[in-house]
Amino acid sequence: MNQIAVLAPVLAPLLIALFAGGIGWRSWSWQMLTAAGLIQFAAGVLLAVATTDGSAVTLGSLDFRVDALSAFVMLVIGAVGTLAGWGSRSYLADEVAGGAGSPRRRRQYVTLVPMFLATMALAVVADNLGVMWAAIEGTTIVTAFLVGHTRTRGALEATWKYVVLGSTGIALAFLGTVLVHFAAVQRGVSTLSWMALSPIAGQLDPGVMRLAAALIVIGFGTKAGLAPMHAWLPDAHSQAPAPVSALMSGVLTSVAFYAILRYLPIFTGGGNASPTRPMLAVLGLTSLFVAASLLIAQRDLKRLLGYSTVENMGLMALGAAAGSKFAITVVLLHMLGHGMTKAGLFLAAGRVAHLEGTTTLGSISGLLVRRPQLGAGLATGMVFLLGLPPSALLLSEVGIVAGLVMTGLTWVAIAAVVLLFVVFVAIVRASASLVLGPALDAVQGPTASTTGLLPTWTGIAGTVGLVVGLPWLLPLLTRAAEVVITHG
Amino acid sequence: MSNQFVQALNLAAGLILLTAVLTLWIRRVSTLVRLIALQGVALAVLVGTVAWHGHDQQLGLLAFGILALKAFVLPYLLRRVSTQPGEAETDPLVNVPASLLAAAALAAISYAVTRPLVALVPSAQVRATPVGLTIALIGLFVLLTRRRAVSQVIGFILIDNGIAVVAFLTTSGVPLVVELGSALDVLLAILVLQILTNRIQAVFGDTDLDGLRELRD
Amino acid sequence: MNSAAVVVLGQGVFTVLGTLAAFLPPNRRAMAAGLATGLLGATGFATGIVAFTRPTTMEVGSGLAQVSIRLDPLGGIFLLIIGLLALAASCYAVGYVSGPSASRTSWIALTLFIASMQLVAMAGSVAVFVVGWESMAVTSLLLVWTEHQHSRAVRSAGLWYAAMSQLGFLLILGMFALLVSTGGQSQFLNMHSAVSTGSPLLRSGVFLLALAGFGMKAGLVPVHVWLPRAHPEAPSHVSALMSGAMVSLGIYGLIRIVIEVLGRGPIWWGLLLLAFGGVSALYGILQAVVATDLKRLLAYSTTENMGLATVAIGAALLFIAAGRPIPAGVAIAAALLLVVNHAFFKGLLFLAAGAVLKATGLRDLDRLGGLVSRMPTTARLFAVGALAAAALPPANGFVSEWLLLQSLVQGERGSSTVTALALPIAVAVVALTAGLAVATFVKAFGIGFLARPRSEAADLAVESPMAMRFGMGLLALIVVILGLFPTVVLHRIALATTIPGARPITATWARIQLAGGASLAPPMLVALTVAFGALMAGYVRWHGRPRRTGALTWGNGGVRLSSRMEYTATSFAEPLQRVFDNILRPEQDVSVTPVAESRYLVERVGYEQRVDDVVETRFYQPLLAMGAAWGEWGRRLAPGSVHRYVGYVFGALLIAFAVISL
Repeated sequence: MNQIAVLAPVLAPLLIALFAGGIGWRSWSWQMLTAAGLIQFAAGVLLAVATTDGSAVTLGSLDFRVDALSAFVMLVIGAVGTLAGWGSRSYLADEVAGGAGSPRRRRQYVTLVPMFLATMALAVVADNLGVMWAAIEGTTIVTAFLVGHTRTRGALEATWKYVVLGSTGIALAFLGTVLVHFAAVQRGVSTLSWMALSPIAGQLDPGVMRLAAALIVIGFGTKAGLAPMHAWLPDAHSQAPAPVSALMSGVLTSVAFYAILRYLPIFTGGGNASPTRPMLAVLGLTSLFVAASLLIAQRDLKRLLGYSTVENMGLMALGAAAGSKFAITVVLLHMLGHGMTKAGLFLAAGRVAHLEGTTTLGSISGLLVRRPQLGAGLATGMVFLLGLPPSALLLSEVGIVAGLVMTGLTWVAIAAVVLLFVVFVAIVRASASLVLGPALDAVQGPTASTTGLLPTWTGIAGTVGLVVGLPWLLPLLTRAAEVVITHG
Repeated sequence: MSNQFVQALNLAAGLILLTAVLTLWIRRVSTLVRLIALQGVALAVLVGTVAWHGHDQQLGLLAFGILALKAFVLPYLLRRVSTQPGEAETDPLVNVPASLLAAAALAAISYAVTRPLVALVPSAQVRATPVGLTIALIGLFVLLTRRRAVSQVIGFILIDNGIAVVAFLTTSGVPLVVELGSALDVLLAILVLQILTNRIQAVFGDTDLDGLRELRD
Repeated sequence: MNSAAVVVLGQGVFTVLGTLAAFLPPNRRAMAAGLATGLLGATGFATGIVAFTRPTTMEVGSGLAQVSIRLDPLGGIFLLIIGLLALAASCYAVGYVSGPSASRTSWIALTLFIASMQLVAMAGSVAVFVVGWESMAVTSLLLVWTEHQHSRAVRSAGLWYAAMSQLGFLLILGMFALLVSTGGQSQFLNMHSAVSTGSPLLRSGVFLLALAGFGMKAGLVPVHVWLPRAHPEAPSHVSALMSGAMVSLGIYGLIRIVIEVLGRGPIWWGLLLLAFGGVSALYGILQAVVATDLKRLLAYSTTENMGLATVAIGAALLFIAAGRPIPAGVAIAAALLLVVNHAFFKGLLFLAAGAVLKATGLRDLDRLGGLVSRMPTTARLFAVGALAAAALPPANGFVSEWLLLQSLVQGERGSSTVTALALPIAVAVVALTAGLAVATFVKAFGIGFLARPRSEAADLAVESPMAMRFGMGLLALIVVILGLFPTVVLHRIALATTIPGARPITATWARIQLAGGASLAPPMLVALTVAFGALMAGYVRWHGRPRRTGALTWGNGGVRLSSRMEYTATSFAEPLQRVFDNILRPEQDVSVTPVAESRYLVERVGYEQRVDDVVETRFYQPLLAMGAAWGEWGRRLAPGSVHRYVGYVFGALLIAFAVISL
């Protein structure tokens, strides 16, 4: 049963992709996408139950291995994947109603989205750093045409930047992988298996590993949206279809970050003076600074959400820089909470784009009055994103800052808090101009449907559910954190 | 370690480095593509040499695969873009002398950074790894300075070739499954870039990347 | 199941019921939800009583998810305040709410707002406190934004409030981080002993962060700027709760952390608090005396009162530092009594101002007037509140100011040089504040309620509905009772002043006896005041009544008295404004419009005067401008060029190479 749960998240979406591509686009295709996400989520739950005790589920023939960390990230992929699949319903329906796109492109869409999910799942279940790398590079290829789905000038420009920067970054990560392999071979271990490498972390050549660490952190950091390698992110997120933005922002960045977490015990194990944590601290602070700088005068809703992702990834990088068990636990909590909230918000932003015909902040106001459901969804999502109660992000953000203080990185914590405050004010200001205010003119464009917002509300509700379900989730999180900080 | 092996190795590595440096000099895209093909051949020779030296049949087969991919398939894909009008000349953001100086600096950086590798295994093979890193950095430099979409694709191929050089020189390649995966990924990435270049040409009229500045803050 | 568990659970139940009641159809919503929130308040009050009769600590769950509730006399005082205010405000709200303030969201937010304030007062550990504190901020923000459709001022007030309370929250969070890292204790109960061995630097850090963070909530200058914006724009029952209860929690936090957890500290702690308190009190009342917006006036008066409470806490710290527990106890008692009294009279005043706003649509004193005959009950209730706010004897404000002055004067004896210098200044500040407060509230009542209506809206005003009058009446009753028998609450306050070894106040029902010797008999005092008032009234009635003549005042040409000839709020405050010109910096603008034919003939003279918040214009506006400049600069980071972006990656790589090679 558990073996199936390891295989299903990779295989099922692939089969769904084949099937969906084979029969072409149908108005119910979104159900298949949602099913792909649900299967991954269900598998994630099964695996989580199986691995909370610290054991791992392996599929030896394929070098697949799922421990608590993998199981947890699988949960994140499944949760956000489900939301994105569900959100594709209204996105594709709007496209048909608006006369945009073509059945052929929609067919491409419903094929590529499950493939995207499958590649992310592969990155998570593979017990091989090389396969993990290949899968993450695969996500770039699969998502390229998803980002460019609308084929507008903007979409094309965003895709180009995304592919060039994403591939470059990931190429650096490959170089890092090669060096890790080199160091391992010199110790007689000719493999890239994480299981084989982490116990001998302390014996690997420190000089080579320092270089490898720099390359890995910068390489996967590019994909994770850490500044200053983040520049593709706001462009791609603002141009991609809303469900794709939701997936990229909610999990793709997190999967790349998962790769860095996987490497942490290898780089920091055995008491080497690894540059990993200082680098993560610097990149984290840079991300917060860049996000703050660009959020202050931000003029586009989807770019705002994109920069907020940069900010949140930066925060997670800071947590990883602290590197204590507690800090990693809250980082993982943040990953899930942020994924669901951000996915919900991107889907809501997609509704805004469709209903208002624009996502420019200055030209939309009074959403709470004009479109109460959409306005309330957006406003609630923003409140949750900012880490106000009852959002789980309150706990995780406080936890990350506390984790920094506890590990002695007090000045980093202070800088982070100051930047978080600027981000807070900027996002509140932008959101207020969006949802508050009078209904100056009659509602234009199509009217909002309730069903279109259900995925958004589900994502938001999930973030509260995290708080309620924390006592049950905590053992898994703690176990997953132990995976990251265990040194050989 | 036989002397012939070292000579062949250095010859191949030197050829790869030379082609990489030449990409900074050459402006005509069709010539650039030929250079890339030549570099592919040199890379295949390098891998073949390593395979021959280590009596590694699997690696030998891989050398043929690399030859097919890097000397024929990728240049073919590039040519399909570059034969279109408006692609003949490129005008880099940095002029040639400065580019060459930068390449020299990048080479110096590579040698400095890869010292731990050489210190760990002071073999002729590993001694040549800085060449690989230099090529990868030159690739990044091409990405940074070239205006045409096709030139950026070439930069990306350079990065990839450079990493391949490091990979084969250090450990005779990563495990096969990873090697195949990465080759497939690179092929697909180039394919995606090629399709995108054509689309950019269709939508923007030419492939000058300076035109791609509509998404900004 | 003990009584503590019952009342705490009861709060939970009524919170849920209040939330559910908000989902009823609009015609039944106000009644049901108002009942639920009222009962929530009543349960909070009951919890406060339990906190005195049997202090309890309860813990549910464990680890990260542990909820720790602690009922003790100090929290109990604040539970009493919040509970009673919530009860009164809920009754009032049933009659008051309409439109957006009657919406589902507003009722839910109100319920959760009350619940989270009570949670803060019951919090036994850092986690619960922080969650309660932030929930309080979010729900009150939603309530401030209730009328967001109607004016830009509401939206900007909410923004200011959101930014400032988040800043305060972060400061408080930092403070707790320091506290917990110093002592390793997250339970308030054990914190004092855990922290007492901490390094002086850390303890001072905690003190400064607590002062800034809680001072923000208490509306102390210079972090008060949100307060005169947010309180006027919120619906009035919310203003009452915010100004009466929420702001008081800032003082609660100060006492809890600075007095209870930190305790003895260097002398500059006390001096700093004295300075902040004194400046806040003076600045607040000066702004209040020149304010023409009734709710803004009340808001600034809140800053003044919280400033006075801070002065008291500062004095207490000085006495603690000097090892003199008795005057310290008196000073803390004064702070708490100030807060209690302020909560009720300010609540009452905001509710009454809301009644005026609902009846006339106006908050501008210069356009009100004549309400005493049109809204007699509201006017009388406002008068009670105004008396209290002016610290005049029949109402409760007097006793607390007396206690404050007593503590300052008494403590002066035998203290160090610095203290001996600082305390007289504090006394002077308190006295000046008290004087200005009288002027402020004479203006508020005289201009707002007496004389003739200055606008049609004021002329057409009608008395508020029953529910509103009941809510205000309840608070007025409390104000009078506290004025007559402050011992009711002083008795409990004496329990809450947690200075070991001090029994500074002995209170019987009719007499307050301070350990230092001074005493006061409030009922006697009130009786005297009332008797004196009655004598005066009788004298005026029988002897001094001027004979009425039929002539019109200023009626030379037979023109009838018009409201445009009346004294206005602006003119009332004008002399004071001149005196304090340097601090207030009013902006005046005279525009003369000549007639078209000749510029020597004037057609119209326009006179405009505005008193902006100096702190805001001098300190915050430049800061905001800097932020905006940063934002504009930041945009240059993303110019859209793919080359630049590759350059970022390249640069990051080279820097990383440089670092690892060194």
